[in-house]
Amino acid sequence: MKKINIWYLSSFLISFVVLIPIATVSLSFFEETTEYYKILKETFLLEYIYNSAILLFGVLILTFIFGTGTAYLVSFYDFPGSNFFKWTLILSFAVPPYIYAYSIFAFFDNYGTAFTILKNLFGEGEYNKHIPKFSGMFGAILSLSFSLFAYVYILARASFLYQSQNLIDLSKNLGFSKIRTFLQVILPSARPAIVAGLSLVAMETLAEFGAVDFFSINTLTTGIYNSWIAFDDFAFANRLSFFLLLFIFALFVLENLSRKQAKFHSNSSSRFKQREKYKLSGGLSFLAFLFCFIIFFLSFVFPFSQMLYWTIIYSDNLFDLKILSLIYNTMKLAFLSCSALIIFSFISNYGMRVSKSKPLNILNTLSISGYAIPGVILAIAFITFISWFDNSIVKLLGFNSIKTVFFGSILGLVIVYFIRFYSLACNGLKSGYEKINISVDESAYLLGYSKLKTFINVHIPYLRNSVLFVVILISLEIIRELPITLILRPFNFETFATTAFIYASEDLLEAAAAPSLFLILIASIFILSTSKFILRD
Amino acid sequence: MRKISIYTILLTFISSLTIAAEVNIFNARHYKADAELYSKFTNKTGIKVNLINGKAGALEKRMIKEGADSSADLYITADAGRCGAFKAKGMTQGGLISPAIKAAVPSNFRTNHWTGIAKRARIVYYAPDRVSGAELSGLTYESLADPKWKGRLVIRASGNIYNKSLVASLVKNNGKKATADWAKGVVANMARTPTGNDRAQIMAVAAGEADIAVANTYYLALMLSGNKGAEQQAAAKKVKAFFPNQNDRGTHMNISCAALVKGAPNKANAIKLVEFLLTPESQEHFTNNTFEFPMIDGVSPSPLVVNNIGLDFKQDLKTKVSSYGAKQADALEVMTAAGWK
Repeated sequence: MKKINIWYLSSFLISFVVLIPIATVSLSFFEETTEYYKILKETFLLEYIYNSAILLFGVLILTFIFGTGTAYLVSFYDFPGSNFFKWTLILSFAVPPYIYAYSIFAFFDNYGTAFTILKNLFGEGEYNKHIPKFSGMFGAILSLSFSLFAYVYILARASFLYQSQNLIDLSKNLGFSKIRTFLQVILPSARPAIVAGLSLVAMETLAEFGAVDFFSINTLTTGIYNSWIAFDDFAFANRLSFFLLLFIFALFVLENLSRKQAKFHSNSSSRFKQREKYKLSGGLSFLAFLFCFIIFFLSFVFPFSQMLYWTIIYSDNLFDLKILSLIYNTMKLAFLSCSALIIFSFISNYGMRVSKSKPLNILNTLSISGYAIPGVILAIAFITFISWFDNSIVKLLGFNSIKTVFFGSILGLVIVYFIRFYSLACNGLKSGYEKINISVDESAYLLGYSKLKTFINVHIPYLRNSVLFVVILISLEIIRELPITLILRPFNFETFATTAFIYASEDLLEAAAAPSLFLILIASIFILSTSKFILRD
Repeated sequence: MRKISIYTILLTFISSLTIAAEVNIFNARHYKADAELYSKFTNKTGIKVNLINGKAGALEKRMIKEGADSSADLYITADAGRCGAFKAKGMTQGGLISPAIKAAVPSNFRTNHWTGIAKRARIVYYAPDRVSGAELSGLTYESLADPKWKGRLVIRASGNIYNKSLVASLVKNNGKKATADWAKGVVANMARTPTGNDRAQIMAVAAGEADIAVANTYYLALMLSGNKGAEQQAAAKKVKAFFPNQNDRGTHMNISCAALVKGAPNKANAIKLVEFLLTPESQEHFTNNTFEFPMIDGVSPSPLVVNNIGLDFKQDLKTKVSSYGAKQADALEVMTAAGWK
C-alpha cells in the first residue's frame, strides 16, 4: 500500500470535512420529528416540493431564453452594440437574486418608483392600480432568472464560438433557413454546454434563500430554514434537506451525463475553420440590438439604478454605513477563504497528478459535492455536527467546549465556505492542470527537478491564470453569500450582504439600498477587471 | 501537542472575552436610534456594546446551540411573544430586576427574566372615503372576520411575528377553536394574498387596493415624518387610524423586550444597559425616532403619534404579554390551517 502517502491523507482529510454535512443530514433523516408537526407536515411537504418545482421550471425556461438568445446573437452576428453586449451581459452576475427582488418591490409597489415617475410625467393621479405588482412566485422567478442567466450565456457562448463553420456551411448548402439552422444544427451541438449552464442555474435556484424568503414563497430551502427557526423542528429540517439533496443529486447525475456527451459532440480542432460573424442590417439588426439591450437593461441597469436612486433619496442611510469596515470584512473573508481553497485544491490536484490513484479520484469527486448543497443546510449541518462532537467526544475526553471556537468565529465561517466552494476551486485548478501535458512533468524530472521544484517552477507559472480565475469566482460568491454568513458570523461583524438582508427583513428596505449598491459596485469591479478571463473559452 | 494548542486557542479566546468591560447583545431590533443609544451608553459608562444583528429566530437558535458557552448577555427583540417563548425554553435567567426597572415598567410588561423597553399597538387603518363611521363603530379584532369586509382587508403574512402575537392574544382570550374559525373568516376577507411589510399594507389602503389594513402604530408616524419620502408621506395622509376593541378589553399592545440570557458573562453590565434604556432621555430618543410609545410614564410619544394616531385609547392591559409566547404555536397552527399565507 505505497499509495497511502501525504497526498492520499490530505485528500482524505478534505473529503472528510466536505462530507460532514451530507452525512449529518442523511443520518438525521431517521430521527423523530416533533409530534405537533406530524399533523401539518404532509401539507407543508407537498407545498414545498410543488413551489420548488414551479420555481425551478420557470427559472430554467427564462434563463434558457435569455442566455442562449443573447449568446447566439453576440456570437453569430454583427450588429450595433454587439461587442458592448458581449461583455456587459455578464454584469448581471453582480446583482444577487435578493437585491433584484428588492428592486422589483421598490419599483412596482404602491407609491414606489414607478408611481413617482408617472406622477412626475403626468401629474397627480391614481396610478397605483395600473402598475403591475410583480410579487410572489412571479417576482421570484424574474429575480432569479435575470441574475442567473449569465451562467447559460457564458457557457453557451463559449460553445457557439467553437462551432465549426463547416457545420454551418453544410446547413446552408442544404438550404436551411437561419432559424432552422439555429434549431437543428447550432442548438443541438451546443446542448451539453447549455445543459451544464442550466444545471448550475438549477442548483443555485434550489439553494436560493434571500429572494424567495423576501417574496414569502415556501420552497424546500426556505422550508428547511423555517421548520428549524419557526417550527423548532430540527429533524424535519434535516428531512427536508434530504429530499432537496435527492433533487440535487438527480441534477448532478444529469449534468455529468451531459458532460460526457460533450466529448462526443466537440469537434476536432484540426478541421476547425474560423467562423465569420454575419453582419445584420436594417430591421433585423435593430431587433437583435433591442433583445440584447432589454436583457442588459433589465438584468443590470434596472436594479443598479433603483438601488442608486434609493441610496440618493435616502442618503442618511448611506452615512450610517460603515463602508470601510464592511469592505474590510468582505475582503477578509474572501482572502482567507480563497487562500485555504487554493492551497488545498493545489494539494489534491497535485496529489492526483503524481499518485494517479483511483480511490483518490473517487474521494475527490465526492468532495466537490458541497457546491450542490444550499448554504442554509451546510450551516445547520455544521452546527449540528460540532454540537454533537462537542457534547460527546470533546466532553468525554475532558476538554473544554470547542463550540465558541467554531460558532460565531471567522474560523467557522471559513470552514463552511470551504465546504461550499471547494468544488469551484478544485475544478478550476483541475481544468488548468489538464492543459499541462504530463510529459512536461517527466521532462522536468529528467532535468533532475524534484517534485516540489517541478511544482513551484513549472506548475505554478502555468496555472497563474487558472488561480486568478478561481479567486475571482470565489470572491464573487463570498461577496454575495447570505445564509452561511448570517447564521455563523461573529459579534459586530457585517458584510454588505448581511447588512442589506437585515434591513430588508426588518421593514427598512430603503436602508438596504446603500449596502446593496456597494455590493453591486464591488462585484462589478471584480467582473469587469477580469471579464477577459470569464469570457475566455 | 494538540492538547496544548487547543488550550492555547481557548485561552486566547477566553481572555479576549473577559478583559474589556462589555456587554454582548444578540439584537433583532435594527433601528438607527438603538445604535445611537448604545454608543451613548458606552460614552457614559465605558462599557463596550457588542452586537450581533440578525433575524430573531436565527439568533435564538444560535444561542440555544451555543448553550452554556454562549457569550450572549442580552437578547433584544421587537416582540413579547419571542421573549416569552425564549424564556419557556429555559434560555433566560431571573435577575433582570432592580429598583429602577421595577419603578419604570408596569408589571404587565415584564417578568424578572425580561422587560419591555418600548411599546406599540397593532391597530386598524382605514380609508375615510370608503369606510363609514357606522361601519367602523365598535370594530374589534374579532369582527375583522365579518363578511362585510370581504375583499376589503389587507394584513401581512402569517409568518410575521406581530401577527403571531396578535393571534396568540385572540387564542388566549377566545380559545383556539373560535380563533381557528376567525382566521378562516379573515382569510376569506383578504383583498390580496399577504405580501410586503406593515407599511405596504397601509399603502395598499391609500392606493385603493383595500379599505382596511392591520399594522403597527409607529409605521404611520414613520411615513408621515417624511423620512420615507414624499410619496409615502402623501399616502399616509389618505388613511386614518382606528383602535379596535375599545368597548371591551382594549387594543392589542406589544413591546420590544430585552431578555437576560442564561449564563450571561456580563450580567451586571446587561442590567446597567437595560436601566439606561429605561431612563427618560433614552425613552424620549426612542419615541422621537422609532415613533413607538414610551415604556415609562412621564415621557410623551412623538407629536406625530399624538396628533395623527392619538393617545386617548384603552390599552389591553388584561392580556398578559407573556401569553403571546405561550400561545404562539397555536396561533401559527390556526393561521396555517386557514390558508393564511
